[in-house]
Amino acid sequence: MTFERDARTALADGQLRGALRQATTLFGERRRAALATAPDWEGARDRARAIKDETLEHLDRYLEQFTANAERAGARVHWARDAAEACDIIGGIAERRGARSVVKSKSMVSEEIHLNAALARRGIEPVETDLGEYIVQLAGETPSHIVVPAIHKTKAQIAALFADKLGIAPSDDVATLTAAARDALRRRFAEADLGISGVNFAVAETGTILILENEGNARLTTSLPRTHVALMGIEKVIPRFPDLDVFLQLLPRSGTGQVLTAYQSLITGTKHRPEDEGPEELHIVVLDNGRSRMLASRVTRQALACIRCGACLNACPVYRQIGGHAYGSVYPGPIGAVLSPQLFGLARSAALPYASSLCGACRDVCPVKIDIPALLLHLRAQVVERGAGTHRVLERLAFRTYAAVMTRPRLFGWVVGFARRLRIMPPLSAWTKWRDLRPLAPRSFREQWRAGLRDEGDPDA
Amino acid sequence: MRVSLFVTCLADQLWPSAAVGAVHVLRRVGCAVEFDERQTCCGQPAFNTGYRPAARVLARRAIEIFESSAADAIVSPSGSCTAMVHHYDQLFDDDAWQARARGVAERTHELSSFLVNRLGVEDVGASFSGRLTWHDACHGLRDLGIKHEPRRLLRHVKGAELIELPPPGAETCCGFGGTFSVKCPEISVAMLDEKVDAIERAGVDAVVSGDVSCLMQIAGRLSRRGSTVRAIHLADVLASTR
Amino acid sequence: MRSGDARREILHAIRTNLRSSPPVQSSPSPEGRGGQGVRTPEGRGGQAVRITQFTEQLTAVGARCTTVRGEADAAAALARILTEAGARRVVGSDAPLVQRLLQSVGNGLVLATDRLERLSRDELFACDAGVTTAQWGIAETGTLVLESARERSRLLSLVPPIHVALLSTRCICDSLGDALARVSTSSHAITFITGPSRTSDIELTLVVGVHGPQTVHVLLMEES
Repeated sequence: MTFERDARTALADGQLRGALRQATTLFGERRRAALATAPDWEGARDRARAIKDETLEHLDRYLEQFTANAERAGARVHWARDAAEACDIIGGIAERRGARSVVKSKSMVSEEIHLNAALARRGIEPVETDLGEYIVQLAGETPSHIVVPAIHKTKAQIAALFADKLGIAPSDDVATLTAAARDALRRRFAEADLGISGVNFAVAETGTILILENEGNARLTTSLPRTHVALMGIEKVIPRFPDLDVFLQLLPRSGTGQVLTAYQSLITGTKHRPEDEGPEELHIVVLDNGRSRMLASRVTRQALACIRCGACLNACPVYRQIGGHAYGSVYPGPIGAVLSPQLFGLARSAALPYASSLCGACRDVCPVKIDIPALLLHLRAQVVERGAGTHRVLERLAFRTYAAVMTRPRLFGWVVGFARRLRIMPPLSAWTKWRDLRPLAPRSFREQWRAGLRDEGDPDA
Repeated sequence: MRVSLFVTCLADQLWPSAAVGAVHVLRRVGCAVEFDERQTCCGQPAFNTGYRPAARVLARRAIEIFESSAADAIVSPSGSCTAMVHHYDQLFDDDAWQARARGVAERTHELSSFLVNRLGVEDVGASFSGRLTWHDACHGLRDLGIKHEPRRLLRHVKGAELIELPPPGAETCCGFGGTFSVKCPEISVAMLDEKVDAIERAGVDAVVSGDVSCLMQIAGRLSRRGSTVRAIHLADVLASTR
Repeated sequence: MRSGDARREILHAIRTNLRSSPPVQSSPSPEGRGGQGVRTPEGRGGQAVRITQFTEQLTAVGARCTTVRGEADAAAALARILTEAGARRVVGSDAPLVQRLLQSVGNGLVLATDRLERLSRDELFACDAGVTTAQWGIAETGTLVLESARERSRLLSLVPPIHVALLSTRCICDSLGDALARVSTSSHAITFITGPSRTSDIELTLVVGVHGPQTVHVLLMEES
């Protein structure tokens, strides 16, 4: 199975594990420090979750309101049922607008729909401008973390990559490497005629889209080219403009431990006069791609509240060991383990709901209080019910036996007594390869109880 | 105060000293203890692996057994099994069973929480010499909010010195996670090794926890790595009067 | 029309899926005011607190701050900043204050054309410094707020590696929530700027100055 194989590969990569350990520890510390600066952290989480719940409960209404207001302000809103349709729409816009030089700022949805590959088939090659995404694009890889896409690469690896692709002299100075990327991308910004971005929040009340960032590449992507395409999942909408406040309190602190990222761009339609700054055309592509299905149950629906902060990745003891690539999806970590099976199908991602010890650290840090463990358990029950995944025959048999024995205490007593006398333990090599297995105790509790422990406490005995 | 012991199948068969110790401690603080021999397993393994019908059958059984007890409280030496009982209402669609599940859950307590929060007792008259560190079992910590109770109890143990586990810390998962430990063994052991590294760095004689499942995981690796650090259950320490 | 079909289908899918889940016990719709920032008292005492907090936060996020009284003082400070930075090509926004200041700064600086829309992209990218005003400042976070309907500052606050922003102390508000209440979406682009641009994408090592400006200098104009 791919997940097992990829996890094993990650575990064998000492450099990756060191990088993950360092990064997740650091992010955890920064997040904790940032919480202390928030006026009412728990209250903010509750309010944000309530807003998301309200939005999802009336998602159709809010999407319609958003569309009407965005279009009134001059944007053009397109609806896409699936990845192929979204790629088609965006490719069509690019061709119609004669786009020759395309820049892209961070958009996970664009990775979800494999936009770059689809555009490449039309002869359009967008360049990623977020530094981490740029590095990953140059390397021909996929991102391994929601917030820090190139977290798995050392500066030495990046230096070698830049020496190869950008022709610079190798350097282990991070500022020098960053400057090299900046120079290369600056040329692309200067000539770009189409900018593609993601959307962090879409405000129904005003038709505004909000984009957060630190580098300035999203601002350049969305203000310089004559055409701007903004791509968003249907779940990005929030009801009112003032609602942005609570999400801006939660997202930067949760994601990077910052009180605020360097830039927030609030874009409402297009410029009012041709001589003003900014694109001539704004196209907002609203994508379903399996999200509407998740509305059917309250347990699954909560995954749509995700604001893509990455805090769950940083808190997860499993992610800490294996990193993002092992999850085999654009969405890794705890949220990925519950989103990917629902967006891309249980059959394809049957291992992911089991890639967790259910410790609950993710639920503790989620700014919108998504109960990821409950979702994981829900998906596991679905996997079993639908017979998805591989080789469940023995497992089903084992649990049927277990249930039969556990409902019959005398049988239970007999089975364990038998196993104890013969010193049998289940041949669990998956355990014993690395851990000693504690044998059945010579006398179980219930045997001791019957043999005298019961009466010890009885004053009348 | 009359208490019905919810022994848990793992403690019963693999770590009975935890259950025996719990009985001794409860009696020492003045409780009468009863034990219903019909109990077997709370159903957590089935529930956690996705086998809900099987989990439901066992849940109904456990609810019926504990409902029939007139005890003031049901006490368990396991945070995860107690948490499972507290989640029983999620297994049922009908209101009647949900109500019955909640009724049993209200009366079910993990041992350290029962002693400190219900009885208001922190000193159970225990003696145990040694340097100890505590491991927070995940379900007890995050589902039941058990954090300070075991630490307060341990601090009153004569002769025991309690040290907080160095990073990644007491709250980080040991990697057991039920069937996760055998479905994803390499990841489970990678998580476990970080925990065991921290335990060894702490320079303690023993690591203490309130869950047999975590103890099996940790003990299994400590001995495989040839460590002299022991893994013991909270009830083992509290029952000790050496 | 294909997009019309997609819209219909998606909305239908949403409604159908929502209907199939049991109704939620509806909690009252939370009102818009999500934030509960600490409110500074009004009046001069309050404003002094705001100003102090704003300058402290600006410094904490890596921006620089100079307090000036009146335009002559501002012009002198601006000249000093630009000279020290070695900025030769400087462009100002269409804000009258900026135009006045740049005119009086003049000497030795090669100013680009004063009609921003005539500036080619290459010229914009060749600028050393952009000078704008800011419509608001946020005390809690050291943030500058720019509104496109009020001034053409979007590109000048972004492309040149140095951004100098003039802000009146009267325009400093307490918190993010306050700023959101003050801006108007009649501006098609509202920009919140908190310090210089930055990244930690390479080994989590902080580098200041990536695609946006590396230096942000606020000239805080005291108004009584």
